[in-house]
Amino acid sequence: MMQQDDRLESFIRQNRAAFEDDGPPPGLWAALEKEIPQQPTTNVVKMFTKHWLKVAVVVLLVLNGVLLTFFFQHKTKKEESINAVALIPELQEAQNYYTSQIEDKLQQIKAIPADKIGLDSTARRELELKNDTYKLLEKELANNPGNERIRAALIRYYQLKLELLDRILEEQERFDSLEKQEPYVKTL
Amino acid sequence: MHQSNQDTTNLVVRCRKGDVRAFQELYNAYAKAMYNICLRMCNHAADAEDVLQEAFTQVFKNIAQLKEEQTLSAWVKRIVVNHCLNHLRKKKMYFEDVERVEVEEEQQIDETQHALTVANVKSAISELPEGYRTVLNLYLFEEYSHREIATMLGISESTAKTQFMRAKEKVRQIIKDKQVVL
Repeated sequence: MMQQDDRLESFIRQNRAAFEDDGPPPGLWAALEKEIPQQPTTNVVKMFTKHWLKVAVVVLLVLNGVLLTFFFQHKTKKEESINAVALIPELQEAQNYYTSQIEDKLQQIKAIPADKIGLDSTARRELELKNDTYKLLEKELANNPGNERIRAALIRYYQLKLELLDRILEEQERFDSLEKQEPYVKTL
Repeated sequence: MHQSNQDTTNLVVRCRKGDVRAFQELYNAYAKAMYNICLRMCNHAADAEDVLQEAFTQVFKNIAQLKEEQTLSAWVKRIVVNHCLNHLRKKKMYFEDVERVEVEEEQQIDETQHALTVANVKSAISELPEGYRTVLNLYLFEEYSHREIATMLGISESTAKTQFMRAKEKVRQIIKDKQVVL
């Protein structure tokens, strides 16, 4: 049995390059080029010259907030709980990935007016990345960093959350396109 | 594709500054390898293109968050793989825990009589159920460990290993069946 396993595996490893196809179609770069993030420098500079006082106050407030959070975190959190996730690099990478995806979707949802999306404050709180479930899992993981089941549960939590957010956005998109069609339907 | 550490660092620094040519260089350096990952994982050219585009958009958007420039290659690859997994998740692919999977009658296949070629191995892999194909690709082609695969998919390490063993068994079965027909 072992020899057979090795045969298929070693065949793939020895011929790894032959398994590669050509690259993507040439048009893909043109589509991607439009997605390159624009540097915000000019906008910030313009904003500063126009509303410098307001900006300064906001920057100060944010800085205060960040400093206070930083200070309290260091004072109250135990070292091991901070490092629990950092000990498992692939979990940290997965967390980074899902966090950025979830935050991205949450931003899109937040941009939709409350009366249009029809979510009450409890639902909105639940949608937040770090809801009660998350906090519970995070605490459990900090106490048992090596526990495979808790790690799997955390990843499941991220996946389910992402799925839920995707669904909300898809529904909203469907609703929007129906709304756009409506005036036309009325004229029929 | 192979860049020196200094080249990679410079490339990331230029991307962070919003240099369009740097983004294009990054794309050119990784597009082919990343597209192949998408093709293997999605098993469908149009889906692979969509996923690749989404993944590169994410790479461009988040390049400022990459702390160690030297890890660019692994970072890009992980984003692409995660996008592929997301795509499959949307298509409702489930990885069940091994305890819940009904164990099929395993038969030992005498592989020595069946010739392995790149074409028939490739074709057999593409015929695998999605769950098996994903685990096999991540382990054999993308070279992640069983532990990493388990974490990525939210399953236990033993489930990842079992799925991989069954995936290989199934590949051998498909190759054997085809050669019998021929």
